[in-house]
Amino acid sequence: MIYIIDDDYKMAECIARYLRPEETKIFTNAIEAIENIDDDAPKLIFLDVLLDGPDAFTFLNEIGSYENTAKIPIVIITSLNLKTRNLRAYGIKKILSKETLTPEDVKLCLKLI
Amino acid sequence: MTSEVDGVLVAAHELKGPLALLRQLAFSLEYADSERERREIGREMIDISERAMKQINDLTRLRSIESGLFEIEPVAIRAVCNDVTSELKDLFRANHKNLESDYHNRLRLVAGNRDLLHSVVYNFCLNALHYSSQETASSLSVRDKNGRVRLEVRDYGPSLPADVWRAMRQGYLEQPTSIAMRPGSSGLGLYIASKFSKAMHAPVGAIRHRDGTSFYVELPAPRQENLFS
Repeated sequence: MIYIIDDDYKMAECIARYLRPEETKIFTNAIEAIENIDDDAPKLIFLDVLLDGPDAFTFLNEIGSYENTAKIPIVIITSLNLKTRNLRAYGIKKILSKETLTPEDVKLCLKLI
Repeated sequence: MTSEVDGVLVAAHELKGPLALLRQLAFSLEYADSERERREIGREMIDISERAMKQINDLTRLRSIESGLFEIEPVAIRAVCNDVTSELKDLFRANHKNLESDYHNRLRLVAGNRDLLHSVVYNFCLNALHYSSQETASSLSVRDKNGRVRLEVRDYGPSLPADVWRAMRQGYLEQPTSIAMRPGSSGLGLYIASKFSKAMHAPVGAIRHRDGTSFYVELPAPRQENLFS
């Protein structure tokens, strides 16, 4: 299963379409994702930064503190200007810009699994 | 000068969202499973473009209210609310959310400008759409209050930050917040609603709830009200 966490449901749906939709789960906030993660741990997470409620960094701190979720590869999808090298400590493998990302960029992330 | 530049940056940031989404929807057309899905994506693209155009129109209209180029006249507030809820019905449904209306006002007319009032209600409702959790119903209510008519939109999402709530206690927002007011928003829609309301001599305000926020505007009744009711 692949998680897509984005408060913009329509944007999350687009990402899901590029992958196999039946293998993705969309969450519009971090709390719902955390509530599900133990029952159905994802192989990869696409994560928006500015979310309603707890933001991406709160989510990353939470999953990073448990052994069963700490190693899940994370791809940040954002409009903010962030650098991967500054965020490696959070387990972030890649940052995709919402302004420039293509379906191919999203599909390439499957290699992180 | 600085606040004008801030305003341009906020507007640019706010318009980047729909453009980025339109781009992804255009890519998505190739990935649609059926003709029906392709048509739905096309419909979404049109809706998103229309909302962005509306926001651009509101921004340009901000200039005209500074010049006082609009009329204050008796406006049937329920009709404006019905227009907005009807326009946004499909959008709420597409996002698995709901908007309920609840009218208790005996004063059927308010003194305002129909177009500006439409934008105020529209921006309040869009804000509720953005911040409500899925499967919750936002509510739009209209009722009389001390000789005025109070229109209130309640959402069930994160509560408004205390500093923005305090800033609104004067009855309007001085400027859009330069950093996200609540996640994912610069508060531009609320700022536009606040400016338009101020032009109609109608203070806006916010109520913080543990499970969301209500935004309201209090509109004056027209002097001729008793002739119409």
